[in-house]
Amino acid sequence: MKHEELIKKWLDNDLSPEESKAFEALDDYQELIKLSDNVKRFEAPEFNKEVALNAVLQKIHSPEITRKTRWTTHVMRIAAVLAISLSVYYFSTTLNTNISTLAAQKTTIELPDNSQVTLNAGSSLSFNESKWSNARDVALEGEAFFKVAKGESFNVMTADGKVTVLGTEFNVKQRSGLFEVICYEGSVQVTHETDQKILKAGDSFLLLDGKIIAKEKETALGPSWINNESYFKSMPFAHVIHEFERQYNVTIETDNIDLDQLFTGSFAHNEQSLALKSITLPLNLKYSKKDNSTIVLTRE
Amino acid sequence: MEKNLNENICEETLFASIFNKHAKDLNNFLYYKFGEALNPADKVQEAFIKLWENCAKVTPSKAKSYVFTIANNLMLNETAHQKVVLKYQKIKPKSYTNEDPQFIMEEGQYMQKLQNALSKLSDAQRTAFLMNRIEGKKHREIAELLGISTKAVEKRIYSALKKLREDIKEI
Repeated sequence: MKHEELIKKWLDNDLSPEESKAFEALDDYQELIKLSDNVKRFEAPEFNKEVALNAVLQKIHSPEITRKTRWTTHVMRIAAVLAISLSVYYFSTTLNTNISTLAAQKTTIELPDNSQVTLNAGSSLSFNESKWSNARDVALEGEAFFKVAKGESFNVMTADGKVTVLGTEFNVKQRSGLFEVICYEGSVQVTHETDQKILKAGDSFLLLDGKIIAKEKETALGPSWINNESYFKSMPFAHVIHEFERQYNVTIETDNIDLDQLFTGSFAHNEQSLALKSITLPLNLKYSKKDNSTIVLTRE
Repeated sequence: MEKNLNENICEETLFASIFNKHAKDLNNFLYYKFGEALNPADKVQEAFIKLWENCAKVTPSKAKSYVFTIANNLMLNETAHQKVVLKYQKIKPKSYTNEDPQFIMEEGQYMQKLQNALSKLSDAQRTAFLMNRIEGKKHREIAELLGISTKAVEKRIYSALKKLREDIKEI
């Protein structure tokens, strides 16, 4: 029998006794046996049928697994919703409350401690409701009249300075180049840069283009704008014009007019032509309407 | 047309008997073909779970080739055809007893060569050869498992043997 045939038969464990003898007599018999024996050492690791079958059956018979995953996905969904709503809640409570007025608009706000703030046109006020019990702080841009309930110190922060009070009525006006505090009742403390000044009822603090300007005693019980009238006393005309623009939501163009001249007087907030007259006549100015929202002032 | 109720693998005892009949062969087949890095035992379990999920569609006679194909595909999905290195047992069979250092060294070298040569075989050659040598399976049995002809098995095993001998001599 051929060499190859013998080996193939040996490989198939199919040698007859005679063939076995012939195979053992082959030159490479030793080599083949050595190879075959050593190959046996590459046996696959023990495979435990029972353990594996149990594992499979367990997986097959455990709808709990699917239920579990469904259950966890539900929990995850609820958790996600909770997380989102909690964070929204957290943000909305820690976020400041912002109130602002547009031109020709006034509004009165009640603060959490029943203090009242009336915002003049084109102003904004922000405060934090959740921190209110710790610190009565409001930030103001523009003009507002405060009626502060008694309690811990009440702070009004503006870009130009800080006003601290204990419980009183006062008006704060912070416009470009102008910072004015008028105290109507009780006392307030005004901090501007390093300067501190305590205002008693009727005192006022006026900062015009960086300069502190002395003012006489205020006799009114509250700011005039609360009653829809803007009152000025020795105020540069530019500020009067800005206030007019805010109250009537118009643009005023000036032509060859001295904006630094001082103006004393008032204008009403509810009748434009009358108001225009009240600010132009005393200074010998003429006004004309360019269009609905633009007014031009010229020298007479 | 009469339908045999036993034809349903969804019946647990039948499923278990099919598992017992084929699981070990499948495990060893995967091991010889892909090595152990990809965890053949896990693939066996996965393949049988797939069989259970599709038990209504697979007849008992098709079950074996079904799990073999599934497991093979599971492996192929993971393997980027890396080199398969099989581990051999460090504990030697009892026949080797009185060993001098020289013998141990030569022995170690031989095993290294053999390991190398085995990983150089094609998947088909290695699988058939190891099933035959290690498990003592006849050519016919292997042919049945792999779904190929006996002649093809004989050819694979013989060519594997030839290649192994050449490689071992060469190195």
